[in-house]
Parts: sequence; structure tokens; C-alpha cells
Amino acid sequence: MTRAAASARPALRPELCKGCNRCVDTCAQGCISPGGEVDPLTGLVPIDLSLDACTGCGLCVEACPEPWGLRFDDGAPPPAAAAAPRDLPGEQLPLPGGGALVLKGAHASAIGALLAGCRHFFGYPITPSTEGAELMARVLPGLGGHFVQAVSEVAAVNMIYGCGGAGLPAMTFTSSPGFSLMLEGISYLIGAEVPGVFVDVMRAGPGLGNIGPEQSDIKLLCRGLGHGNTRAIVLAPATPQEMLDFTLLAFRLAFAYRSPVMIAADGYLGQMTGRVHLPGALVRPGLPAWAVHGDAAHRPNLISSIHLAEVDLEAHNERLQAKYARMIDAEQRADLYRCEDAELLLVAANTPARMAKGAIRALRDEGIAAGLFRPQTLWPFPVRALRPLLERTAALLVVEASDGQLEDELRLALSHAGAGAGIPIHHVRRMGGVLPSQREIVAGARAALAGRARA
Amino acid sequence: MTTFYRRFERHDHAAGLKGETTHYCPGCGHGLIHKMIADAVEALGVQDRTIAISPVGCGVFLHYYLDVGNSQASHGRAPAVAIGHKLANPDAVVVSYQGDGDLASIGLAEILQAAQLALPITVIFVNNAIYGMTGGQLAPTTIMGQKTATSPRGRDRGMGQPLRMSELIAQIDGQAFVERVALFDARQRKRAARAVEKALRLQVEGRAFSFVEVLAECPTHLGLTPVEAERWVKEQMVPVFPLGVKKDLGADAAPPFEWPTPSFDPGRVLAALGGPAAAPERFCDGFPRTAFGDDVGLKLAGAGGDGAQTAALLLTKAAIQEGFDATHIPSYGPESRGGTSYADVRIAAEEVLSPAAPHPHVLVAFNAPSLARFGPEVAPGATVIYDSTVVPAPASLGPAAAVIGVPCTAIARELGQPMVKNVVAVGAVLGATGLFPAATLQRALRQALHARPALLPVNEAALARGIEAAGRRPAGGTPTPDR
Repeated sequence: MTRAAASARPALRPELCKGCNRCVDTCAQGCISPGGEVDPLTGLVPIDLSLDACTGCGLCVEACPEPWGLRFDDGAPPPAAAAAPRDLPGEQLPLPGGGALVLKGAHASAIGALLAGCRHFFGYPITPSTEGAELMARVLPGLGGHFVQAVSEVAAVNMIYGCGGAGLPAMTFTSSPGFSLMLEGISYLIGAEVPGVFVDVMRAGPGLGNIGPEQSDIKLLCRGLGHGNTRAIVLAPATPQEMLDFTLLAFRLAFAYRSPVMIAADGYLGQMTGRVHLPGALVRPGLPAWAVHGDAAHRPNLISSIHLAEVDLEAHNERLQAKYARMIDAEQRADLYRCEDAELLLVAANTPARMAKGAIRALRDEGIAAGLFRPQTLWPFPVRALRPLLERTAALLVVEASDGQLEDELRLALSHAGAGAGIPIHHVRRMGGVLPSQREIVAGARAALAGRARA
Repeated sequence: MTTFYRRFERHDHAAGLKGETTHYCPGCGHGLIHKMIADAVEALGVQDRTIAISPVGCGVFLHYYLDVGNSQASHGRAPAVAIGHKLANPDAVVVSYQGDGDLASIGLAEILQAAQLALPITVIFVNNAIYGMTGGQLAPTTIMGQKTATSPRGRDRGMGQPLRMSELIAQIDGQAFVERVALFDARQRKRAARAVEKALRLQVEGRAFSFVEVLAECPTHLGLTPVEAERWVKEQMVPVFPLGVKKDLGADAAPPFEWPTPSFDPGRVLAALGGPAAAPERFCDGFPRTAFGDDVGLKLAGAGGDGAQTAALLLTKAAIQEGFDATHIPSYGPESRGGTSYADVRIAAEEVLSPAAPHPHVLVAFNAPSLARFGPEVAPGATVIYDSTVVPAPASLGPAAAVIGVPCTAIARELGQPMVKNVVAVGAVLGATGLFPAATLQRALRQALHARPALLPVNEAALARGIEAAGRRPAGGTPTPDR
């Protein structure tokens, strides 16, 4: 816009001049002088222009910081508004069937991401999650994808923000200390409504802790995804098969809701090798209409979480709340094991849920009607599936590898639902990288029912 | 001219004059730099392809003005966001726009990595020696003696020297263009505009990481008029931050980046993952009829390097190929540096419930500490196998029904391959418990060694010798499952 025919002369609407006078000395012809009168619209003092001697050199235009301040009127019509972009749908491409694979949980999750169409991985190595990243580093270049080992988890989450903002599936593997570092960025993803998948292979804390399994981040995942009113779906797999299935699902949900999706795994699950069947199809991702992709169709788009006016930010929050409500309504998931006649209901997720399953078998052999309620979504907590079970439940026993973070979710969900009043909630907890053993759970179950007898 | 929105609808909904004016203070350098970017985008004809990354700082509202794709980053992370955008669509022309607090303080790690990766993105670094948006605090580029809200007596040595980012970036290896320019007079503005256009052109050509530092005026927080601020930049900043090209592409510059095309072809994806798994032949006639029920727990323990994990994986894969469920959990960490390494394996007819084996039905101990640690914990009626070459015969192991010494190390040495002692041990598990037929493990060995077929005969021999060595199983009590 600073280029114009030599004959052209600059023009200025006084109300768009802030009176900075940076143009004044640039004019060798003396056409410009500091103004003397306050502009009634702005309260500022615009320059005085007298263009009789103007040569059209354009130096004054180059000195003006305002886009619509001093300028050559090139007479060009304003550009036509770009047509609104449309969602380009993805497609499912069938995969041939085959036998079971034998995969580590972290590898199964990485394969789930590849089958979901993810070709962009951004991460930082941290035990016990690195096997997933290493598989991506091996495989992605051969599939025309990109593996970036970021300078930190902080950078990694922001690379996901960029790639997800461009409308493509992106993911990371991390573990608790790294996940803590990503939380700021996750708040931005939620605020700007950017999809992305975070596999948190939780390890024991606080601080550096150790690399043993712990369900240490349930609180962060469900209640603390960075600053602001943030929520995201949290999937909790318990087997290598679910590591694959839930990662695949996570990408679908991330794009369906324009939101990051969390996968809460634990250190055992990341390292555990087991039987995994591949799905019947893989995904070639589409391109959503809202993406900032760097092409003509998507030029009008903006990825941002800043809403300066309070009224605008409140309205944005209300839109997010409505989205969270849709998630609560549609995305509760739970697995029920021998709950049909259970008077003692064990509640557990991730690997501790498998220990609990083993315990239930032993308890049943003793004649105790125990069942397992296993949340597969930690948020939203699947209280809808839990509620009908409570009618015949004498006691709940929460089995977890944390200081009660899962139990807090259970209690909050029951409280919000107005359910479970009067049903005692017991627990078996281990921390520090130790999982509750089957024997401890059996003992805890006996104690829970003994307590009931005393009551 | 089209690169600015005709009306700034995002600027407070274009209320009043805001639809046509920026939010910047009079005389601020940001507006000039916006115009240079707009001009360069227009000159290069890349408006549709351009993505501007807004920073945190006064430039946060870049997306109010530039009619391009816009993405707003968190404080300091704009280069990381830019890399995400660029790798998502290499045709995009990605401009990371950052101030001095954003780039040279909180975002140091991100900008240094961006320079190190040297992907063709463009960074426009606005250095005005002060934090503008937060109200005039000390910046990493605040010059010595300069008074700010957080250096009220002037920057002194305790606050460190100002950072020269262009020089720092320029000394990083990789293809890059780095120039520092200024805005304080007409000549400098022309140079600056040329530098911005060159930076964008190098990206369009896919050739280099480009970094343009612009010394800009912040009249408000300098407490000067705009014209005085121009003079201040010229007289005070330039001596600290010398202008000019700091790095450029030489004659030996590498060719432009070549970007891969993502593949979603099912055949190619499966091949990348090691090929589709065929439904395997089964050698077992139903779930193994051992004394351990339908959910068998095994623990294999030794020192790092004994091969306990490999043996455990062999058993796990063998079980899954027979159509059973199985899991393997390794211990890891310090063990891999020579301590105790152990693996838990569970094999179940339908579904492994608890994958841990704290009280295993079968214990394989490759060294004495492992036997001492895990021997007393085995399930009643368990089978314990130890490497009798290196482990003395234990006095007694309370709950175990069978304690079998197998000279795994000696057999492996006889076979000329000490590393196969773990396969001898796997054979011993088969021989002692009847868990699987030999054919199941032979197949697992073939698969594990498909890339090193020369090693197969010695491994097969090790398996056979292990089966044979443990084949005479002493009578024992009735085992009970781990409950």
C-alpha cells in the first residue's frame, strides 16, 4: 500500500491520525506540520497536510503507524469476502483382518494414534511414557509425518496448539511431571477450542517422585486443566487393547468437540505387554471449517482464547459450559464386571481395576457378592451407570493408587447427582509407585462388609 | 491493498473509530511493522497462505488487523505454535510476531529451538527495550541505566546486561537469515521493510529460518514524544544493538526443504507397523492343564542382562498366539543397570484379571538374590526353577511344591552361546509344568529371530535342553491358585 504511481498523493482522514508527528520530518517538501487543533472525535491533535508541493514520494506514508492513516488511495475496491469454508470430512479406510498383536500399552496407544490419522507428534522424553514416543519417531517419517522432540513439554503442548489449530490431529505422550508443565498450554487449547490428544502415563509423585505407577494426576485431569473454567474428556484405559481403542476414540472426540482429550494411563499400563486386536478401519482425517490452515478457504479464521471485553469472555465461557454439558450428557463411559447382584461395589480405574477384578473373583469364591464399577471416563464421571447399581449396594470400596483422587471424583459425582446417600465409602489406597495388591483388596472388602455388620 | 481488514471488526466490535484505528499508542513502532508485514505479504502474493501468530504483549491483537489466517499464542510460545502450523501445512507462510519480553525472556527456550530446528518460518522480533502491555517493566533488552517500573533506579549490573538476540540466534548453526533493523528515520524504515520482505521470501522459497529484529519505539513507557523516542532509539539503543545483517545464506546454501506427503494408505500403515498379523496355528489343545487353574502367574527374575524380560515376552507372545490372554509387566529403571530385573507374566484362558504376580505359580530365578527375594513369596504348590550353575541349592522354600535346579548357564555355555540361558529356562518351565508344547515356543523363537536366523538353531537347542533338564518333575503337594 506504500507503493503508488508517482503522481499519486497521500490522503488522510484527520480522525484516523493520532498526531504522533512521525511523518512530519520525513517530508522534504514541508507539506506536513504538527497540527494545532484537537480533533473532536478523538481528542487527539492530527497533523496539518498541505500537499501543494507533494511529489508523491511516499515517505510520509511509510512513517505512519496506522494502517488506515496516511495512505495512497489506490482506488482498488475492497476485497470480496472469502466464501465460508466447509468441513472437509475424513474417511474410514478398511484394514485387513488378522490375528492378535502382542503390544506394550504405550505402543498400542501410539498405533491407535496412527490409525486415527495422526501424523504429527510433539513431545519430550519422560519415563515411563517414552516407548510411545519412540514408536512414533520410528514410524512417522515413513508415513510422511512429523516427529518433533520439543525443547520442553511447554513447547510440545504449544506445537500441538499450532498443529491442532491448523485442523490436523496431533498428540503427545507424557508422564506426570511433564503433564504438569503442559497444563498452561492445555488451558489455551480448551479456551481456543483446539483439538489434541494427551496420553499421560501417570507416575508417582509429588515432585520428581519415582517412575512407578500411580494415579497421581486424576485431580489435575478432572479438576485442574490449567487456569480458568476448563474441562476435557478424560479416558482411563485398563488394558493394552483399551490403550489403542481409547486413543483412537480420543481423536474422534477431540475433533467432535473441538477440545483436547486426555488419556489417563498409569506406569504399569504403559509398560504392560498384552493382546491387542486392530480395528477394522483406519482414519484419513478431514479438515474442519474452523481451522487456520494457511489457505484461501480458511483465511478468515482465528484461533484465540483472548476475549478482552468481560461480556464477551463470559459469553465464551457460557458456550464452553454448554459444550461441557453436552460431554457430560453423551460421553460417560463405564465397564461393569459382575455388578448385577453385587452388594459390595468396588470402584477402580486403570491397572488397579484389574487387581480389583482378580480380587472380585476371590471374593466370589468366598461367597461375597462383589462387583467392579470401572469408570472408563474419569471426567465426565459415569454416574448415570452407577446410579441404578446403588439400590442394592451395601458398601462402596474405592481401590486406587493415589491419596483418594478417584474417590473425590466419585464423591463429587454422587453429590451432584444426589445419589448414594447413606452408602458407606471405604477405600484401599497405595501410593509412591505401589499398586493395591489383590490380597489387600480382598482384605479391604472383608473389612468394608464387617463394618456394615457392626453398623 | 488488501492485507489489512477493511474494518477491524475484532477491535472492540469496531466500535466508534476502532474499526479503522489500531489500539496502539501514538507513535508506537508496532503499527509500522504491521504495515511492513502487510506490504511484504502483498508483494509476495501470499495473503491466502499466511498465518500470523500473535504473541502476548502489545502485539497480542495482531489478529485485529491482518487479513490472514490468525493464531494467538501463549506468552513466549509463538515459535512453537508456528512450528505446529508449519508442519501441519508446509505451504503456509507462518509469521511469529513477538516482543522482547515474549521472545527474549519467557520464550527463550522456544525461540532457540526454533532457530536450532531452522525450519522455514519467519520471526519478527519487536525490541522496544521495555514491557509495554504490563506497564513499562524491565525487559531482557532494557539498556543499562534505563529506568523502568521494576528498575526505578535504572538497570544495574545486578539485573544483568541486555540480551542481544540477533547475535545469539545468528551463532546457531543451520540455514538462517538474521537481520536487525530500526524505524527511527525514513532510510531505516526502507531497510526494515526490505528485511521483512526478504525474511518472508526466504520462507516462501522454503529455504531458511528467518529472523528480523526491529528496534521499535515505545514513546509511552519511555516517557517521550514519538519523535523524541525515535531519537532515543537511534542514540541509546543502536549502540547496544548494532544494526545490520547478522547471518545470511551463503553461496553454499542447501536447496529448499522438501516436505513429505502424509500417507494414510492402509497397506503402507500396516507395513510400517510390522505387517498384518496372520491368525496363527494353535498347538495347544485347550488351556494348559497345569496344576495352576485357568489364570497362571509367572515371575522371572535375575540381574539386568540375564534375559528375564526377553524370556517373559516369549512366554507372553506364545500364550497370545495360542488364543489365550496374557500380560507381561517388566520392572525397569535402575535394574537395567545391573540390579534385580524381574518380569511378571500372567496367562489366562479368557481374561487376565490382575496382571501382577506377587505370589507366582512359577518362579524362575537366574541368581541367588532373586531366589532369596521371591522364593518365599510363591503360591502354595508353585514350581520354582533356579539356575543351578550360579545359585546354590536352597535349604527349603516353604510353599513351593517343586524346586528344580537347572544348570541354565552351563547348558548355554555348552551350546557355545551364553546368552541363551534364558531360553534354557523357558524350556525348563515347559518341561516342569507342561504349560505349552515345544512347538508353541519354537514358533515364538522363529518370530523373535526372524531378522537373525543364524541364531535360531542354538536357541532351539537351548529350548530343547531346558525341557529335557526339567522334564523329571518331582512330586509335590496340591497347588492352589493365587487368591
